[in-house]
Amino acid sequence: MERILDRGAVRDNPAEEAFLIVEHLRKTFKDRKQVVEAVKDISFSVGKGEMIGLLGPNGAGKTTTIKCVLGLVKADSGRIEVGGVDCLRRPREAARYMAAVLEGARNTYWRLTVWENIVFFAGIHGISKERGKDYFEYLLEVLKLKEKRNVEVRNLSSGFKQKTALACALAKMTPLVFLDEPTLGLDVESSYELREALKNLQANEKRTIVVSSHDMRVIQDVCSRVVIVSRGRVVVDRSIPELIGLFRSRSYKVVLTVNGASGGWSVDDIRRKFESLFPLSSSKATKDTLELSVTLRQPAEVYELVDFLKTTGASIETITQEEVDLERAFLEIVRRENGGCGTQS
Amino acid sequence: MWYTVLKATWKQCYLHTVRYWFNMLSGVITLYIIFLMLFMGTKAIGAGAFNLGETLEGLFTGYVVWMIVLMGFQDLAWGITNEAQTGTLEQLYLSPVGYKWIGVFMQSCNMLLNLVLMAVIVILMALMTGQSVHLDVVSLVPLFIAAYLQANGLGFALAGLALIYKRISAFFQVVQFAVIGLLVLPWNRFPWAKYLPFTMARHLLQQVMMNGVRLWQFPLSHIGILLLVTAVSLGLGLALFSLAETKARARGLLGQY
Ligand SMILES: Nc1ncnc2c1ncn2[C@@H]1O[C@H](COP(=O)(O)OP(=O)(O)OP(=O)(O)O)[C@@H](O)[C@H]1O
Ligand SMILES: [Mg+2]
Repeated sequence: MERILDRGAVRDNPAEEAFLIVEHLRKTFKDRKQVVEAVKDISFSVGKGEMIGLLGPNGAGKTTTIKCVLGLVKADSGRIEVGGVDCLRRPREAARYMAAVLEGARNTYWRLTVWENIVFFAGIHGISKERGKDYFEYLLEVLKLKEKRNVEVRNLSSGFKQKTALACALAKMTPLVFLDEPTLGLDVESSYELREALKNLQANEKRTIVVSSHDMRVIQDVCSRVVIVSRGRVVVDRSIPELIGLFRSRSYKVVLTVNGASGGWSVDDIRRKFESLFPLSSSKATKDTLELSVTLRQPAEVYELVDFLKTTGASIETITQEEVDLERAFLEIVRRENGGCGTQS
Repeated sequence: MWYTVLKATWKQCYLHTVRYWFNMLSGVITLYIIFLMLFMGTKAIGAGAFNLGETLEGLFTGYVVWMIVLMGFQDLAWGITNEAQTGTLEQLYLSPVGYKWIGVFMQSCNMLLNLVLMAVIVILMALMTGQSVHLDVVSLVPLFIAAYLQANGLGFALAGLALIYKRISAFFQVVQFAVIGLLVLPWNRFPWAKYLPFTMARHLLQQVMMNGVRLWQFPLSHIGILLLVTAVSLGLGLALFSLAETKARARGLLGQY
């Protein structure tokens, strides 16, 4: 457990050349009614050309972190560095390096066409139409926006709207791009297309990209590493294969045959005892089998599992190591963080 | 860089004007109709009054200044408030030249457009009412700009308030009528009124349009007051806005939360 959740957020192989560094970021929102500690202590860094996922349950502080880096929200304390520039001291200069698609906002002008939006947003970033034209065309191509080029954004479906917002952010040609919930509200098809486009761009351009999303398929698909935050702190900072690997060797599914004749425990007893012994578990009973799923906290816990099975006296039909994807790993982590085994400091 | 930003901003301003021409036109027509009704009404009621001519002249110039003020503060205050709600404001804040300059570029474009629009309206107003008006462009344009910038000050102040108190935009309408109050304050009873926004601009505009006075024929003190009030209004408005901006950054209110 402690090893999975390296609380200090020290990564095994920190990026050799970090383009974005966030250190001990802190932000508390205060107004007359309430005080919200949105970000308590967040540190992470992103290497040049790396694409990472910023994950966490609702209200974890992802958007606040992104907005602090962008200078849209004033951080209380901490250090943020982008391309070697101190964002908090020299925000104007740092702004040159960054673009973003923000969560839940339009990001574009609805009465302008796709092309006009792209030219405008690139323009206010200092990229003239003459200079950017070829690249803008390329973006339209990659994002499959070509036929929509001269359509006013308000007349587009939400998938195309979102792609336009993405095109506007990318058209600024900044080395660092933030995408906060880029696939929110998109159907499977559009989400897939957007992912493909992102992977494409990433492969060709080596930009540094931070994606925040609740859609684990998106993250697993496009990112190499995830930073998971919960309640304003970083709880995991690992490469995705590594993270999944950690859970794969620890997730088991056991199917027991329970036809009453065994003289062992009752199904209810087994379930109750099982769930109290293993907090990260679930069970499902069918007519004559009982399915137990568990993610162990340490590899050695497998002995306890075996011992437990033995004491129940039930006969084991199968034991399998379960397939784990990012979504499953993420859920386990969040469950633990929410008091699963009392490591919350 | 700067030139590119300026160009992009002006292009956007132009495109929005083209796309929203219908809204703009209907707004102008409404104002125009209200004016005609006021004018005809005053003429009918005040038929016996011996200074009717003066009253009508006052109404005419008062209305012109009021429209300038509306243009100067509504575009700005509504514009910023709208952009905060839709989320494009945050995008503008990401520009490396800073939002301030984008705002300045955008406002300068709006001012030019409104100047042209205002010229057309004044001519139409004169034609419809038969009021004779001196269209002394050299004298009128600087006065227009002064009144417009004073209104921009008001606009920035209100936009700032709206960033923080999201519901205040309903209050904008109240302000536009409060301005009428300012414009009708008689100077002989309230001598301090000439130090208030819009009043001196209105006085000078009336002199130019109705009496054919030229800009350089005005007493220096009046021009001085005009410049001073313009500088203070705009300065205060901008100061309030940047205060609001700081607060909005601290509370995360630049976008809709
Ligand atoms: N402007 C604000 N004023 C007050 N509280 C805020 C503000 N913005 C965010 N918060 C609060 O701060 C906490 C963190 O919010 P944040 O938007 O950063 O979370 P998030 O990780 O992006 O969540 P989600 O997955 O829902 O987007 C939440 O409790 C939220 O209610
Ligand atoms: Mg968020």
